[in-house]
Amino acid sequence: MEFLDYFANVFTAYHLALLVGGTFVGIILGALPGLSPTMSVALLIPFTFHMEPESGLILLGAMYTATVAGGAISAILVNVPGAPANIATAMDGHKMAKQGKSKEALHYCFISSFVGGMFGVIILIFFTPPLAELSLKFGTTELFWIAILGITIIATIDSNSVVKGLLSGLFGLMLATIGDNPVLGVERFVFTEHLTGGVNIVVGLIGLFAMPQVLNLMENYYNEKNTALKPTGSSTLMNSFTYVFGRVKALSIGSVIGAVIGIIPGAGGQIAGLVSYDQAKKVSENRANYGKGEPEGIVAAESANNSMVGPSLIPLLTLSIPGSPTAAVLLGGLLIHGIFPGHEIFETNKEVIWTFIDSLILAQVFMLIIGLFLSKHSAWIMRVPDNFMAVGIMVLAVFGTYSIGNSYSDVLIMVCLGTIMFFASKAGFSAVPVVLGIILGPIAENNFLLGKLIGGAKFDGNWILYFTTGTINITLIVICIISIAYGVYSNRKSNKN
Amino acid sequence: MFTLIVNLIKTSMNKYFKISTLLVLVLAAILLIISFDEVINPKPWVDNEDYLFPRFIASGIAILGVLLFFEQSEAEKSTNYKDLLPGLSLIIVYILTMKFIGFYLASMILFFAGVMIYRKPEESTNFWRVCIVRLSIAALFTLTLYGLFTEMLHVHPPRGMFF
Repeated sequence: MEFLDYFANVFTAYHLALLVGGTFVGIILGALPGLSPTMSVALLIPFTFHMEPESGLILLGAMYTATVAGGAISAILVNVPGAPANIATAMDGHKMAKQGKSKEALHYCFISSFVGGMFGVIILIFFTPPLAELSLKFGTTELFWIAILGITIIATIDSNSVVKGLLSGLFGLMLATIGDNPVLGVERFVFTEHLTGGVNIVVGLIGLFAMPQVLNLMENYYNEKNTALKPTGSSTLMNSFTYVFGRVKALSIGSVIGAVIGIIPGAGGQIAGLVSYDQAKKVSENRANYGKGEPEGIVAAESANNSMVGPSLIPLLTLSIPGSPTAAVLLGGLLIHGIFPGHEIFETNKEVIWTFIDSLILAQVFMLIIGLFLSKHSAWIMRVPDNFMAVGIMVLAVFGTYSIGNSYSDVLIMVCLGTIMFFASKAGFSAVPVVLGIILGPIAENNFLLGKLIGGAKFDGNWILYFTTGTINITLIVICIISIAYGVYSNRKSNKN
Repeated sequence: MFTLIVNLIKTSMNKYFKISTLLVLVLAAILLIISFDEVINPKPWVDNEDYLFPRFIASGIAILGVLLFFEQSEAEKSTNYKDLLPGLSLIIVYILTMKFIGFYLASMILFFAGVMIYRKPEESTNFWRVCIVRLSIAALFTLTLYGLFTEMLHVHPPRGMFF
């Protein structure tokens, strides 16, 4: 019960204020259809840079939890999911809103998000330490394969095409080699002086996630958009609680599936929501009513996408492989505070990590309270016009980028990367593998060179043997191959359909 | 026979050719040339291992680029340049002038110009009123940023000649 020792750290006035503020802003940002959780967290990271590591992580964790839940508001009222995680919620949620029951729908969604979220954090608390122990057995070659595996899995899951996903990952690895290399002591791919410092992780995150959103908002500004319905309905809070807690089947399906999908590297809230919606539908007695405004659908989808949040941090904290795209961004947040995931995390940064995990429990509670409060007034949230949002994000993105290293070059890199990503996404490339390449690139390269050195000495110059022997190495290689094969298979299948 | 081959190439070009694929192949070629430079023209003072890892990546990009050429996938989404370009040019001007006129002034101009360029017809009933309201919002936004970050958190964005 080590996690209880650090609970008191969360209960300082400053941390509570951060939790409340982060949750409040997070729900609003999540509810705005143009802003995804991944982008919101990416944009926030530079501002946590000036805080203590614990405080910064508490704010980021609260933001992550709240944005995922907040996305349901626009899914229900506008029929536009605030984030991919809320696609499944829109199917029944908007139908309920049309029937004049949006208040109930919003209640159900925050209550089931709370249940799922709590379940997820409990899984996080009990599964992280044993997995961290396992990572003790990892040497240089294993770490190299872990980095490659992280990129491979994200590339095959997050993209519609395995080839494009892997290309995005390799592009990210390439970006990571740019600039001064402290290990090799050389400058590589420095075509202009602006590239001397290389591509900073946070600069990459903001460029790849925030800038394309700005351009998207501008490009689609004049398109017709749905108007938001006003929250209506007569249900009391008590009735909503009784209803949700009566849906044991949908709640447990959502929570368990969400947690499992959270642990799987790369698969995020979108998959969690859709899979558990589908499963809940299969076992439900009201199966025929799904898609026509069945509240159980909301319960299953929302408990799943919030249950994904905690477990998505398990592979992140232990193996530095993010369990979801937003977790990939959080990895950037850990690294700028000098916290390196792995077995040492519970030795060197014990206090920071446990305080962070404990704060997530409280973040669920605040998400429930503030969410239920905001759902009464949610129609005005949707009124922020896209043009104001676009310029606001742009200014914050530039400011955040500049503040990391006081470098104008970083701003140029951010804008260039963002513009390239905007056009690349039109051609079907995804930003998440690129980010993972930038983050895991140095880990992959340094361990590769080190492993080659050790292996060369051990195996008489035949260093490849060092990388391809040993149980963990072979397991990791096999998982890599399976994930690519599965990706190719599912691409083929979806092309045929 | 010859015409058959030409026709085959022509149809496959129409079927497979995409600008994105071409750009990936060009990128792969550039990366291959740079990273294999030491192998082709060995220089004794350069460590051959510096570019070892980039060589793997460049080869990977090249192989996948060729696969991409043969991959049948959905058509690229079209871009609405008419609405995108004004905004994109505004951002470029913003970034380039920021160094000279300072971050806060440039941001205020970007904010104001952005919301004036992107304006739906129904919003412009009284042009001057809209203009003044939005200018005040832009000023307020910039002042809030200044108060929050420069005064409270002591983060200093690029200064220009004014402040």
